Amino acid sequence: MSETVPDNERLAAEFRQLLTSIEAAGVALLPASNLELLQTVVEAAAQIFGAAAASICLLDDADQSLEFKVAFGAGRDEVLGMRIPLDRGIAGYVASTGQPIAISNVSQDVRFNQEFAQSTGYVPASILATPLMISDRVIGVMEVLDKIDAVSFGMQDMELLGVFARQAALAIEQAQQMNGLAQVLVNGIDQLLNGGAEGPTLLSEIADEALDHGQAEYQQAMALAGLLFEIGQAGEAEWRLCIDVLTGLRDYLRSRPRFGR
Amino acid sequence: MTPSEQPEQPQARALPAWSSQFSPDRLQEIAALGPIGEIDRQWAWGGSHGEGVRVAVIDSGIEHDHPAIEGCARGGTVVEVEDQASGKVRYLDDNPPADIFGHGTACAAIIHAIAPAAELYSVRVIGRDLTGKALQFAGGIRWAIDQGMSIANMSLSTSRSEYYGLFHELADEAYFHNVMLVSAVNNIPAPSYPSLYSSVVSVAAHDGHDPFTYYYNPSPPVEFGALGIDVEVAWLNKSTSVSTGNSFAAPHIAGIIALIRAKHPELTPFQVKTVLLACAANTRPADGSPAT
Repeated sequence: MSETVPDNERLAAEFRQLLTSIEAAGVALLPASNLELLQTVVEAAAQIFGAAAASICLLDDADQSLEFKVAFGAGRDEVLGMRIPLDRGIAGYVASTGQPIAISNVSQDVRFNQEFAQSTGYVPASILATPLMISDRVIGVMEVLDKIDAVSFGMQDMELLGVFARQAALAIEQAQQMNGLAQVLVNGIDQLLNGGAEGPTLLSEIADEALDHGQAEYQQAMALAGLLFEIGQAGEAEWRLCIDVLTGLRDYLRSRPRFGR
Repeated sequence: MTPSEQPEQPQARALPAWSSQFSPDRLQEIAALGPIGEIDRQWAWGGSHGEGVRVAVIDSGIEHDHPAIEGCARGGTVVEVEDQASGKVRYLDDNPPADIFGHGTACAAIIHAIAPAAELYSVRVIGRDLTGKALQFAGGIRWAIDQGMSIANMSLSTSRSEYYGLFHELADEAYFHNVMLVSAVNNIPAPSYPSLYSSVVSVAAHDGHDPFTYYYNPSPPVEFGALGIDVEVAWLNKSTSVSTGNSFAAPHIAGIIALIRAKHPELTPFQVKTVLLACAANTRPADGSPAT
């Protein structure tokens, strides 16, 4: 440990440096650029379907709601950022069941989600909604609203929207992988800080090296992030097993006498 | 509504993967051999209205006072996860039952239109939280078995492989307890449980317009194709809508099974499946005449 700088202050400084460096390298900006990609997917879907509007909402695990992340066409400005609970509306149903659905011609006095429709000022006559899936998990819902040249969306539309939804889910998955990588780096640094006198020096070196894509450390971190992500996708039981194995390995390593340290 | 003796042919249109096997160019004719070929719709369900048959609708609930239900929702439960780690669920009374989305009411009304004397039971397994939804769903099937339902209609499925064993066990238990599970396959062609188990009656949508026209697919896992496109259905708050999806095909088959089970209560699930095959619109009768 450094004898001149208090631990907490040094820790904070190192993390600031790390995070600034990662952001400068564009890693932290990826989710934003993915939003642009999602926007493109939504616009393309609206045009191909001849739909008045299209949108993607993503599941927020923390409060179990759906938040509209990107939208195009009628009602766009009102809908962006809006959250709906999972027990409301077509999007809630699709997220809850993982089943795509096409619905139209709802009788005049009752709407798909009255509160929602009133707050956006836009009430669609027809909706096609399909889940966004990563592996076997629902992460959101993609909707196209009001087919311009027809009264309703058909099964072919449902299948085609599934293609768009897979593209959107892929973009989100990649963003999550990059976020996972950043987390692995931060965790690695955290481990190093607990590692002994060489910590601070190594921390700076790793932070620099992590941003040089040619470096072995970066590639190892990338491989590790990918590995953990894949295991996490296999299911909750597999993920718990992975954590147990890694924790066991760590405990074992900690318990070993460390000669020469 | 009366059983149609003149099932129509679906129109030639591109269909999604699970439904494409019911398009006219791919539809295979089935030969019903021996005495099975003598089973016809009149024998199978002629004169039946589903009297006394108890049908669980495992879905978003049933709006008990919807005009399309005509007061046939006899009870209901809401399944909630009590403890995620142990998988324990609790059952809350839902009497008279309510619906939060409209989808369960749509399915219930389809069953009621085909089998107006059948008793409907609402089993709500979806709600405001996705955590543990597979456990809620499994709890719904468990409820249907424990309550001695004759049929359980399910428009849900899970593709999560960690639940393969749980749902397989439930499907077997339902089968051995004489409960017929009727399941919509997911519209996305991916593995989904329990719809792809052999003891379950799995259903996809075909492109026809007649509620009594259904087909048998000799190349499973999806065994039956029924009406599911542009179906006028009941929806939330006493409304109606026009909806499309495999989840509207399954209750058509559930309704027909209710008719069969009311008329022939002695038939076991695999015998009912055989009767369904014998009466499918693409099955050639024993007398050698072409399939309908």
